Amino acid sequence: MVFSSLFFTFAFLPVTLILYYSLGGSFIPRTARPWILGLYLRNIVLLAASLFFYAWGEPAYVILMCISIMINYCIGYFLDKNSTSRQKQKLFLIISLVFNLGCLAYFKYFGMLISTITTVSGWNLNAAAPALPIGISFYTFQALSYVIDLYRGKIKSQKSPILFALYISMFPQLVAGPIVNYADIESQLVDRRMNLRKFSSGLRRFLCGLAKKVLLANNIGLLWSEVKAMPGTEISVLMAWAGIIAFTLQIYFDFSGYSDMAIGLGKMFGFHFKENFKYPYVSQSISEFWRRWHISLGSWFKEYVYIPLGGNREGKWKLLRNILIVWFLTGLWHGASWNFVIWGLYFGTLILIERLFLHKRMKRWPKAVRIIYSLLLVVIGWVFFEFTNLTDALNYLGILLGAGDNVLIDVQTIAKLEQYTVLYLICIIAATPLPKKLALSLIRIQCNIYKIAANVYYCILMFFLTAYMVGSTYNPFIYFRF
Amino acid sequence: MRIIRKTTSATLPNLMRIIPFIFILAMLMLHLILPDKTFSKDEMRYLAQCPAFHFERILDGSYTTKVETYFSDQFPFRNFWVHIQKKSPIFTTLLVY
Repeated sequence: MVFSSLFFTFAFLPVTLILYYSLGGSFIPRTARPWILGLYLRNIVLLAASLFFYAWGEPAYVILMCISIMINYCIGYFLDKNSTSRQKQKLFLIISLVFNLGCLAYFKYFGMLISTITTVSGWNLNAAAPALPIGISFYTFQALSYVIDLYRGKIKSQKSPILFALYISMFPQLVAGPIVNYADIESQLVDRRMNLRKFSSGLRRFLCGLAKKVLLANNIGLLWSEVKAMPGTEISVLMAWAGIIAFTLQIYFDFSGYSDMAIGLGKMFGFHFKENFKYPYVSQSISEFWRRWHISLGSWFKEYVYIPLGGNREGKWKLLRNILIVWFLTGLWHGASWNFVIWGLYFGTLILIERLFLHKRMKRWPKAVRIIYSLLLVVIGWVFFEFTNLTDALNYLGILLGAGDNVLIDVQTIAKLEQYTVLYLICIIAATPLPKKLALSLIRIQCNIYKIAANVYYCILMFFLTAYMVGSTYNPFIYFRF
Repeated sequence: MRIIRKTTSATLPNLMRIIPFIFILAMLMLHLILPDKTFSKDEMRYLAQCPAFHFERILDGSYTTKVETYFSDQFPFRNFWVHIQKKSPIFTTLLVY
């Protein structure tokens, strides 16, 4: 069940919310016993809904997730119990690392390993790779952050299995992030504010995310799939650029839309998640891009890989090693395929170059130059991300840079660009902080008019979102026309 | 008294803010109330009906897919929404059919 499906928005979500809010009442004082009982019941409803949500898409792998929850809960318990013996704690930490990373390795990377061995050595291994369980990379990373923070003594263990299970499996962030650190959410599990105001701003955030996905990403994605389907010799250079920029926009609206929906849904249930995207396409360097793109993943790798390896404190060679390790893993995390590793190392190399050589020089460049420089490298990066085959990626890159004998521009390109101009403009503006700035300045000048306008805007948005979600299931039987 | 007035005056704007959610609830209600259709003239095909519950179908995942298809095929005013999407001004030219 994806967030952008009719069934999620019009059936699962309202039913879950009604069940959730019918228990306990916001008019009861927060310190009173019934209030605490109400929250307890609400947490159970949310957990049950989350397990149902996961089982809906993965009827078999829901058991794997439950096992992961149980094992990590027990490890948390033992880490707490043996808090006097560092040695025993270390043992439990290692057990947890082996289990969590082992699951991830087997379910996500086993197929990649087999195909790599087959290509390199030519052996025909007769091993079947398992299907990838949805969201395993996200919930495994959350479990790891819990266990490692507990080992470091940063947090207390979660005594309640229900709350721990809720932390791992909460459906808003279960399948597509953001990765929530336990420390950020610990207090919210036992006490959080829920009111109409928060609910309505969560709803608005959810609708914004849905619009990014359904109206922007899906439609600009059509252009990219058209370009991708064209044979390499027929694409004009301009068309190749239009295509990869369309993909650049598509992946941003897709992913940040999912994060917005997660943050909005969390808010509707009274939770506060950290932001995951901060307008990455206006970054002024590659390092800055990665502080604005998928922030929760970047900070996870920084916290649990880069800093434990020594970070930048132990000389240039260690820095080189650490950055390459982190970016190798970051790339690999995105998918079980070598092109993601190349994509990760590409960014690792760029960040190294920036840190070692460009850092001081870049400060003297005008702002526009810095933005174009970053954007250009990011767009080229997406070529490696999108093509699983390295030869295809290099061919496409060749077309972009004019290395092939493709024409610069042709009639088809002009027609396509005309067709997509409006959407292109909307997407580009929506990817910058401009709309938000505009809304903030409006609210300062005319608060009441802004409030009415915002209400009307979200109603219209809901209307068109419904139309587009229903429209995407439109499936006419057209055989009789032929 | 003052406190009560304050809460009512704060509730109304908040209720305005959740109109989209009320719309979602209304659609769900209509979906449950309106009778299911069997054939769509616009799409020239039979629409999905409420799938029968089978334990094996749950395990292989086909049951949930069928429920989702049923839900979207029987969505209230389906043809109206499809029509709006096809004719919506901004994106009309973009949709490739």
